[in-house]
Amino acid sequence: FSSHYFNLQCNMILQKLFKYSLKSIFGYFTMATLTRQDLNFGQVVADILCEFLEVAIHLILYVRDVYPSGIFQKRKKYNVPVQMSCHPDLNQYIQDTLHCVKPLIEKNEAEKVVVVIMDKEHRPVERFVFEISQPPLLSISSETLLSHVEQLLRAIILKISVCDAVLDNNPPGCTFTVLVHTREAATRNMEKVQVIKDFPWIVADEQEVHMEEAKLIPLKTMTSDILKMQLYVEEKTQKT
Amino acid sequence: MSRDGWRKKASEDDGWGGRGGYMAAKISKLEEQFQKDAPREKQKDGTSSCIFSGVAIYVNGYTDPSADELRRLMMLHGGQFHLYYTRSKTTHIIATNLPNSKIQELKGEKVVRPEWITDSIKAGCQLSYVQYQLYAKQKSLNFTSICARGKQDLSSTNDPFKPNPSHPQSDSIKNGSCSIIEEDAERPRVNGIHDGDDDDACALLPRGSQDTSLTNGYVHPVNGALKPQDSFAEHSPHVVDIGSHQSHLPQTESRDREEPSCSSAGSKSNFHQRSLISTASPAKQPGLHSMQKDLHPKPTSNPGTSAAPQKGNLHDQTRVRLNGSYHMTPNSSNLADSSHQPGRSGKGAEAGVISEFFSHSRLHHISTWRNEFSEYVNALQSRRRAAGGAVFSGKEKLKKLKANCSSGILSLWFMFVRQSCILHVDMDCFFVSVGIRHRPDLIGKPVAVTSNRGPGRVAQRPGSNPQLEFQYYQRKQKQYRKVDLDLAALSMAEIASCSYEARQAGVRNGMFFGRAKQLCPDLQSVPYDFQAYKEVALSMYETLASYTHNIEALSCDEALVDATNLLVELGVTPDDLARAIREDIKEKTGCSASVGMGSNILLARMATRKAKPNGQYFLRSEEVDDFIRDQPVSSLPGVGRSMSSKLTSLRVSTCGDLQQLSISRLQREFGPRTGQMLFRFCRGLYDRPVRSEKERKSVSAEMNYNIRFTQVEEAETFLTNLSMEVQKRLEGAGLRGRRITLKVMVRKPGAPVEPAKYGGHGICDNFARSVSLAQPTDSGQLIAAEAIKLFHAMKLDVKDMRGVGLQVQQLEGSHADPSGQGPSRGRSIKDLLLAKQPAHSPKKDPLAPQGWSSVIRTGFFKSKNVQCPSSSSTDVPETLSKFNPRPVPTLAGAYEFSDIRTLLREWVTTISEPMEEDILQVVKFCTELVEDKDLEKLYLVIKYMKRLMQQSSESVWSMAFDFILDNVQVVVQQTYGSTLKIT
Repeated sequence: FSSHYFNLQCNMILQKLFKYSLKSIFGYFTMATLTRQDLNFGQVVADILCEFLEVAIHLILYVRDVYPSGIFQKRKKYNVPVQMSCHPDLNQYIQDTLHCVKPLIEKNEAEKVVVVIMDKEHRPVERFVFEISQPPLLSISSETLLSHVEQLLRAIILKISVCDAVLDNNPPGCTFTVLVHTREAATRNMEKVQVIKDFPWIVADEQEVHMEEAKLIPLKTMTSDILKMQLYVEEKTQKT
Repeated sequence: MSRDGWRKKASEDDGWGGRGGYMAAKISKLEEQFQKDAPREKQKDGTSSCIFSGVAIYVNGYTDPSADELRRLMMLHGGQFHLYYTRSKTTHIIATNLPNSKIQELKGEKVVRPEWITDSIKAGCQLSYVQYQLYAKQKSLNFTSICARGKQDLSSTNDPFKPNPSHPQSDSIKNGSCSIIEEDAERPRVNGIHDGDDDDACALLPRGSQDTSLTNGYVHPVNGALKPQDSFAEHSPHVVDIGSHQSHLPQTESRDREEPSCSSAGSKSNFHQRSLISTASPAKQPGLHSMQKDLHPKPTSNPGTSAAPQKGNLHDQTRVRLNGSYHMTPNSSNLADSSHQPGRSGKGAEAGVISEFFSHSRLHHISTWRNEFSEYVNALQSRRRAAGGAVFSGKEKLKKLKANCSSGILSLWFMFVRQSCILHVDMDCFFVSVGIRHRPDLIGKPVAVTSNRGPGRVAQRPGSNPQLEFQYYQRKQKQYRKVDLDLAALSMAEIASCSYEARQAGVRNGMFFGRAKQLCPDLQSVPYDFQAYKEVALSMYETLASYTHNIEALSCDEALVDATNLLVELGVTPDDLARAIREDIKEKTGCSASVGMGSNILLARMATRKAKPNGQYFLRSEEVDDFIRDQPVSSLPGVGRSMSSKLTSLRVSTCGDLQQLSISRLQREFGPRTGQMLFRFCRGLYDRPVRSEKERKSVSAEMNYNIRFTQVEEAETFLTNLSMEVQKRLEGAGLRGRRITLKVMVRKPGAPVEPAKYGGHGICDNFARSVSLAQPTDSGQLIAAEAIKLFHAMKLDVKDMRGVGLQVQQLEGSHADPSGQGPSRGRSIKDLLLAKQPAHSPKKDPLAPQGWSSVIRTGFFKSKNVQCPSSSSTDVPETLSKFNPRPVPTLAGAYEFSDIRTLLREWVTTISEPMEEDILQVVKFCTELVEDKDLEKLYLVIKYMKRLMQQSSESVWSMAFDFILDNVQVVVQQTYGSTLKIT
């Protein structure tokens, strides 16, 4: 009996299988057309956040040399230059992953979104952790300007683009994966509802979640009325 | 889920008492459902019992196991589960964390941790709920019983040879947590940390968090000495020593409380570590204690306070000054009388009281005059500029005089050397001499200006305890050394000013009239005459202005004149000029003035001391060294009571003594700036020029008379009114400010509720908080909104508030138009929303304070104008805190990084040996930052401290940093599974 409830309580850490395909959704930030009736703030937050995560993941992959810099193009987002991959399959994977993360964020069930960079032996060397928390009361009155949120997000993006200064170089041949730490029993529903067919969540390997002798490097914390998020990097002490 | 849970409950709160038929029907339906499901659940699970028969639980908030799971367990074991709380039917409330308000609400109910259920099931019988109570303060338990129970608990619930390997961790946690709870009440004493700690900032914190967080600091080193994780494999519950619980439990408990926030993957590893702590700690404890001793060599020298001694002194200083200067004028005695009626509450909150207070407050008058005179001087100067030269009647007169009798060589010498000369003109006991200028019968008699005109005795009011207050002041101020017990019945009206005759009898300014009358029975009292003061002061300034316009107004009766050019032009000696000015003033105002002269402002002011009364003194530069050597240090500007007492402890009483100290010594004792200042001052060096156009640094309004609120709303209304007063002043000065500071005087714990002085503030602690705005403002509404936010963040008991002040700093002229740059992007949602539905009812949101609508506008106003990305982080509106159950972590009231940095810098640079309380405060703050998930700030704070403390010459600081870092790393390790990278 005891083990039963303990397992339920134990928080699931999930991972998307790596797949490829293409399309960019940059610039679909069309808030101005929404009217008050349409506004579901959970959705708005999820939209903003997923858009941001997409930009951030691309940038992390570029900054951390996971892929050759040749596949990246310079774009402008949040009024700052960012790098975005042109590889269709990679883009599609990132997009699909975030598409599946979005429902979790809407319901405030995602606690952390983690970009794990792994070496050839699939041992994690770096984990970029986006820790998300939403204020318990999300209502029209607690919301302030989204442009303000955008400034905060821009600050995080800027921090990512210079984070190589505080991190050691990665060994060659790295890959990456995206993990989601969910709150409580969100997994039960997730297995039922597959947002994209044949793109299921799987429980992450212990090996990918835990990194030995890791050091923690906080990059940026943002606090706004609709969202509180902090980004930190866990870096393996000996990367070779 | 936990969050959803809270939301639901929050909306339900109001309906607890009486819901209509619908709710009743719903509840009974739910009950039916529960009964129906129960057998099915039992069948499915196979195990069932009826240990909980008669128990009906209601789950409040996040629990572990979850509410669903608890519901299932209750089904299995014969209990009831209520989705809605009913006082009559629900027997136990299950919760792991409750806000203070809920605890109040649930007083008398059994609030129990969920472990009670799981442990009971494991034990196979219903255990006593007492030891699982969420808050042990519900019922007091003595320590011996705790030990006994703790042991029994261990043996009954833990099987050391449990076959399933995944379990020991959860078991031991429960052990830990359940025994903590009952020890909660005892713990502070057990640890010996909290003895007599009912002081200052800590008193403001909610009880619970204060306990845990403070003790946290002591506990972490235990964890810091942890064995490597693999030792956990051998862990068995028997290793846990009950006795050691005392030391490590607070830690565990604080983790428990925090649980809802880390209800995630991380919590599993938390559990892991927690249990680890409980096994490893006993062995390491001695080491910890010795380490603490090393760090804090004088742990008991400062009994029972968490405030640094300087801070305390600072308080006293301000308090005394305020006490002396705020005063009810005779005109306002009506007000005092009318508010004397019992039951009339929140006097300060009454509309109009503020403006009335300010129209009668002496200090207010004087302070506004000073500005008025500054502006008068400014106006004169600009008029002269416009007219292209002005006629200085006084100057002309002096010139003629000079022509008649040519003065000696000295004036020529002066012309030649062109040494700067400052005149400090000060009226002799201004209020008295103005008060008696039409009453020749009082000349030469001891006279005091005060509001009291009676015999100096009043009846004692109930609720006040003048004796205690006098003892307090006596301790603080040596001048009340000879207090006798009869004082209780004496008038508490302060003496604003007294004549030299009265001073000879020992009467001092600021003394209570009753006391003064005892010292000098012939003392005559003269009422205030504000109109006359103003007239006299104005004519004094007119007189000065007839010589030169290089005047700096210091107050209504005090001015600085830069006479350097004037003397050169006229070719007269400073003494001639001073004599002429004094004669002029005497003639025009009927009051005497003293003039001190020197080569800089400091020397001129010191010379005035020697010149008084009714005289003049020119401090020649060659005499300066001899002169200043004998001056007491207290005559230096900026040397107040606290600093002179500190100097006395350094065996410094005169400036000559002070000159013996090296600048590095002074800077070490008083901080870099103050140290340098003292070093220069005691040598008569002072380079501030006479500033006729004085830049205002702040605009403020403060009131600490008659502040008695009973409700939060009253305080809010009061703040709004005060903000309007500030607005008035800002507008008057044509200024806008960017930074708003709220200062509050709060009755010191233990001080009598009703102070000896009627309506006075009594013995108080002072607190201040400030916020920076994105844009300078002079709008009372905006200021009020921010002030109310600050006020709520301070979490004060409004009943104990005795004084409130609002200050606006970082001023700019209001003419500069800040709205030059509009938003670069299109309109935001907020614009659209506001355009569509402009009027929100302020009452709509129960959480919002009254000034809610303006709060929204603040946010809007701010964000609209913020464009620079680098500044964005500082402009975050603070509204989040309203929704966040956890307050923003603060370090001694500061929460912005820049403030914290200043605070830390002051701390490290001014103090040679860190105090243990301060270190614990910092550790606590860092722990809160981790819990608040603001690693970035934590990182910045740590890095800043590292730089500061490791640079410090004292090795104690390096040790202090290591101590802090160790503790923080443990917390980070527990929360995030890895430690911070500190390079």
